[in-house]
Amino acid sequence: MFTPDRSKYPEIVDGKAVIDLDSGKYLKLWQGPQHPGVTGNMSLELIVCGDEVVDCKTHVGYLHRGFEKLMERRKFIQNFPIVCRICVPEPDTNEYLYAAAVEEVAGIKIPEQAKWLRTLNMEMSRLTSYLMWIGGHAGAFGLGPIGQWAVTHRDYMLDLFEEWTGGRVYHMYMIPGGVRNILPDGFDRRLEDTLQKIEKLMSEIEKVMLNNAVFKMRAVGLGIITKDMIDRYGVVGPIARAAGMKRDVRKNSPYLMYEHLDFDIITGTKSDAYERLLVRFREMFQSIDLIRQIMKYIDNSKNIHTKLPNVLHWKIPAGETYVKAESTRGEYGYFVVTDGSELPRRVYVRGPSYSHAVALLEDLIINVNIADVAGLMTSLHTYPPEIER
Amino acid sequence: MKEIIQRLKQQFTISNVNQQRVDLTFLSVKKEQAVSLISYLRDFEKFSHLVFLTAVDRVEDIQFQLTYMLHNYNTHQDLGIRVLIDREKAEMASIHHLWKQAGTYQRELKEMFGIDFPGSPRVDESFILEGWDNIPPMRRDFDTKKYSEETYFPRPGRESHDPESYMKSKLYPEGDA
Amino acid sequence: MSLKDILSPFYVWKRAFEKPYTTANPLTDRPGAPRYRGFHDNDMEKCIGCGTCADICQNAAIDMVPVEGIQTSKEDSGLRPKIDYGRCCWCALCVDICTTNSLNMTREYTWVDTDPDKFRILAGAQENFWTGKETGYKLGEGYKLLDHDRITMPMVDPKEGIKSFIELVKGYSKEQAIKEADRCVQCGLCIATCPAHMDIPNYIKAIREDNIPEAVRILYETNPMSATCGRICTHRCEEVCSIGVNGDPIAIRWLKRYIIDQVDRKEIAKILRNEFKPNGKKVAVIGAGPAGLSAAYYLTTVGYSVTIFETNEKAGGMVRYGIPEYRMPYEQLDKDIDAILDMGVELKTGVEIGVTESFDDIYKNYDAVFLSVGLQDSYSLSITGEHLPGVIPGIQLLDDVTKGQIPDLGKKVIVIGGGNTAMDAARTARRLAANVTILYRRREEDMPADQEEIEEAKREGVKFITRAIPVHIDLGENKKIILHWNKAEMLDQGPGKRPKPVLIVGEAYTEAVDTVISAIGQSPIYKLLPEEIGSQIKFKREKVITDKYGQTSLPKIFAGGDIVNDIADAISAIADGHRAAQGIDLYLSKQVKVK
Ligand SMILES: Cc1cc2nc3c(=O)[nH]c(=O)nc-3n(C[C@H](O)[C@H](O)[C@H](O)COP(=O)(O)OP(=O)(O)OC[C@H]3O[C@@H](n4cnc5c(N)ncnc54)[C@H](O)[C@@H]3O)c2cc1C
Ligand code: SF4
Ligand code: SF4
Repeated sequence: MFTPDRSKYPEIVDGKAVIDLDSGKYLKLWQGPQHPGVTGNMSLELIVCGDEVVDCKTHVGYLHRGFEKLMERRKFIQNFPIVCRICVPEPDTNEYLYAAAVEEVAGIKIPEQAKWLRTLNMEMSRLTSYLMWIGGHAGAFGLGPIGQWAVTHRDYMLDLFEEWTGGRVYHMYMIPGGVRNILPDGFDRRLEDTLQKIEKLMSEIEKVMLNNAVFKMRAVGLGIITKDMIDRYGVVGPIARAAGMKRDVRKNSPYLMYEHLDFDIITGTKSDAYERLLVRFREMFQSIDLIRQIMKYIDNSKNIHTKLPNVLHWKIPAGETYVKAESTRGEYGYFVVTDGSELPRRVYVRGPSYSHAVALLEDLIINVNIADVAGLMTSLHTYPPEIER
Repeated sequence: MKEIIQRLKQQFTISNVNQQRVDLTFLSVKKEQAVSLISYLRDFEKFSHLVFLTAVDRVEDIQFQLTYMLHNYNTHQDLGIRVLIDREKAEMASIHHLWKQAGTYQRELKEMFGIDFPGSPRVDESFILEGWDNIPPMRRDFDTKKYSEETYFPRPGRESHDPESYMKSKLYPEGDA
Repeated sequence: MSLKDILSPFYVWKRAFEKPYTTANPLTDRPGAPRYRGFHDNDMEKCIGCGTCADICQNAAIDMVPVEGIQTSKEDSGLRPKIDYGRCCWCALCVDICTTNSLNMTREYTWVDTDPDKFRILAGAQENFWTGKETGYKLGEGYKLLDHDRITMPMVDPKEGIKSFIELVKGYSKEQAIKEADRCVQCGLCIATCPAHMDIPNYIKAIREDNIPEAVRILYETNPMSATCGRICTHRCEEVCSIGVNGDPIAIRWLKRYIIDQVDRKEIAKILRNEFKPNGKKVAVIGAGPAGLSAAYYLTTVGYSVTIFETNEKAGGMVRYGIPEYRMPYEQLDKDIDAILDMGVELKTGVEIGVTESFDDIYKNYDAVFLSVGLQDSYSLSITGEHLPGVIPGIQLLDDVTKGQIPDLGKKVIVIGGGNTAMDAARTARRLAANVTILYRRREEDMPADQEEIEEAKREGVKFITRAIPVHIDLGENKKIILHWNKAEMLDQGPGKRPKPVLIVGEAYTEAVDTVISAIGQSPIYKLLPEEIGSQIKFKREKVITDKYGQTSLPKIFAGGDIVNDIADAISAIADGHRAAQGIDLYLSKQVKVK
């Protein structure tokens, strides 16, 4: 079983390191909340010995907006514009899951075409989120230009979202009952152009990052997560797949139209930062492929929305459900409880970073060189809003 | 899932079993049996993944409902374990020894709902809220609107009319035809 | 680590020679996409100020405020949405729910100002840099939040319908009513138009919540005759329903009927539970039509002892003796009346004031008098031959049928007129197996009758001749009646005025029929009033002049219903009765004349 190597500590009492900051051996360092090497608004309280981390506490609370509480005070339709705000880089997962949960407890079936459009949205969103991530990950290792290339290409994706949904970042598209609009004319062509641009970008990133001796030296062997840690720490998504686990909600518990699409779960073996990059890198190609597959099913003449009861006084019978989807970080889910009123009784948002960025990171970071802390974090692809909703 | 429920029934008192979907079931268990039931599911029924642990404030029954969501990667089944606990003496046995991330959930529950998990690591350290001096904010009786009205102040100058009473004042003030 | 891994990253230099991705001047070169959710735009003409946009906004970003130059009218609250961009999250739910589709968004999204108050915008009413720019986001294709389709009312087939006097409208089931009630956005625009200002949104809400006792209670607050109004009301509220702008208005009238259909006389009495203490004062009501019944009800609920005097054998006025049974079944009218009598109102029928009992006696013996005698006379055609046998007034026919004295109309009948009385007479004649033609001076669109009345009449086989002016009536062979009429053309009378029908010389026609029914309007008969009283009451074109509480120039006499208001329908009569009850109470409790 994994236990961090704490041999450098002077003393372990009751399984806990006793760190005397006055000894002059240790230094307390705050990484974040304003730090380019931290993903989003969170901070790490690091204790370092030399340039190695010997202890870490994750701190959140810099971006708590109380979404879950807010939702208990709003009508079902009024939460639709809120949920996407939980996560900037990948809002769509929230939109889909909230809509799906509400539809399930309310007993609403949505048209098949709406499901295809949602599937398209989810894959485009995955690609967009990965683009942002790969830029940040490269940046964490000092590969600045890749960050700029990737974010530009993310913007090309956002252009597509903008013309499709009317919004760049928050699309507010997957409304309970279906979706809000069909694809604009000529969208397929512009989408394909962008996909090709991204493919070209990927081949460049491969040259500059994946086949980069310096990067490899730092990423290979960094943050190895052993198989036995996976369940113990609640590890999901690409991180689990890089450890060889065939786990992907899209395949294991198919939702939307994923069972009609042809794809395999991408896995790795070495389970270090480099392997995780490889898995995600291949998943970006997989997303591009899935988008092309989905586009074959898009038909603008078909029904895209099931008429809802009047949303101004929509009551949903008492019930509860948990729905989940595969986000770029892994299993993302909504647990929704209703009590027969016009407002939800409870909406709980489950995000993968909740375990990745706290319990897992706090242990994994021990003995890591402080220069690699940022790289380790980005290789876990953590988003603090999933910790504090 | 049926067989598992059967096996559970032999050892534990479970109730309110609800198969929500083919791959999602909820059941309730008494507080005293909860941790052993969860350990059993983890160790013998391959529910190796703790998806989440959260609470619902059933304030009208003076209870909290805890929900432990477990997942079995072999059968791809989700199982939600509901546990009702007293809201006045909100306390529950910890499961931090079963999953590393459980401690984080318990710490958050302590802060947001005021549910204690004695023995859970750092359970008393503030998690998200620093210097909070009100009742735990996720409790139903914490009124966010009232709190924000008392704590902050609205920008002056906004006023709105309700069409119905506005039309009354314009078209048929008291007693007019 | 291979040599390739060392050389490969130098590829990055290639980029140095490529065109940069950035846009030179993003603020001017980059308009939002055609569907962009930018600043709002609102079409001031189309918007009706229903406030639905403000209701759905989860950020409370919208205030409804008056706007200069926009008048409050029955179909427009005069308010317009003002958006606080410090709160708006650009979700466009307000656009999706807008009842008139007046609200849209533009493609504009950049705006800098140092004054935060500038970011509160009356979209569309205020000049901005985006005024007149292209529309961005509007309601998407294949999706909408409002339900524009009314739940179809089950009806008796017209072919079946004309065989008897059974009620045509079958009424909603609970499920249908709740569904129909669900369509309402509760904007409350309709309340101003309802003459009784009934609390429509809230009784609809009570239906939705399946709280019938609450619904009944709300109805009786402003209207004690909902079984009646739920069937025959002119439902002008539906004309201003905000859902009606883009779809079918909520079936307000039928929902009202649904409520009252769910309860019987006993249940109504239980819900209303009158807890008044008699105050010892007596009020006389003359005429048991809707106005009189309504006044009696509201006076009783505040402790007056009320006696209604009525010439006819039964109460109900024109609702019983005018409106035919297939629209207004007698037992439903009785239900309303019984509930009122159950409150302790005394009804004396067969008493014609001025004939069987003198007005003076009543004037002396009661603390106040409410006059609601309605329009009992019928306008004459003012053409030669109108007094021939076989030429009868429409209300005469309807009165006879109600009293069970079925007249022999013969095979062929002509009805003259275009109002509801004409439709009722024509359709009644159809039920007496006659071939019926309606003759009207103006065009069909000018007919004062309800559109649905006209359509139903057509469906029942009534023929229409419009722009036809009757000229005179002769007696023909075999007791036939010959109606001479002339085609008319419509002459424009200038803006805002009704075009006038004018004879076209030479286009004369004749029609040989068995009966001619004249139904061009009713007028009042005031002979019950003794000279010295009548001379003290002020009139204007046959109508009694009152203040807003129905008080006439003689403080002790109040009046209401068809003899007072120009609308002359049941709900206006009921509203008059209610207001007069308030007026009488004010007058008798304070002994002041309220003006
Ligand atoms: C054919 C027809 C169809 C109509 N259809 C509709 C419709 O669909 N919807 C609608 O809203 N309205 C309709 N109306 C109008 C509606 O019936 C009247 O507006 C309403 O009944 C007026 O009420 P009221 O109380 O003022 O008078 P009335 O209903 O006319 O009642 C007056 C009462 O006073 C009694 N009375 C008169 N003189 C004396 C006296 N001297 N002593 C004692 N009693 C006396 C009369 O017998 C009568 O009962 C219709 C009218 C007619 C004629
Ligand atoms: S766009 Fe959304 S947030 Fe903005 S005013 Fe409309 S409903 Fe409110
Ligand atoms: S919903 Fe539309 S019509 Fe109603 S007030 Fe708002 S903008 Fe005007």
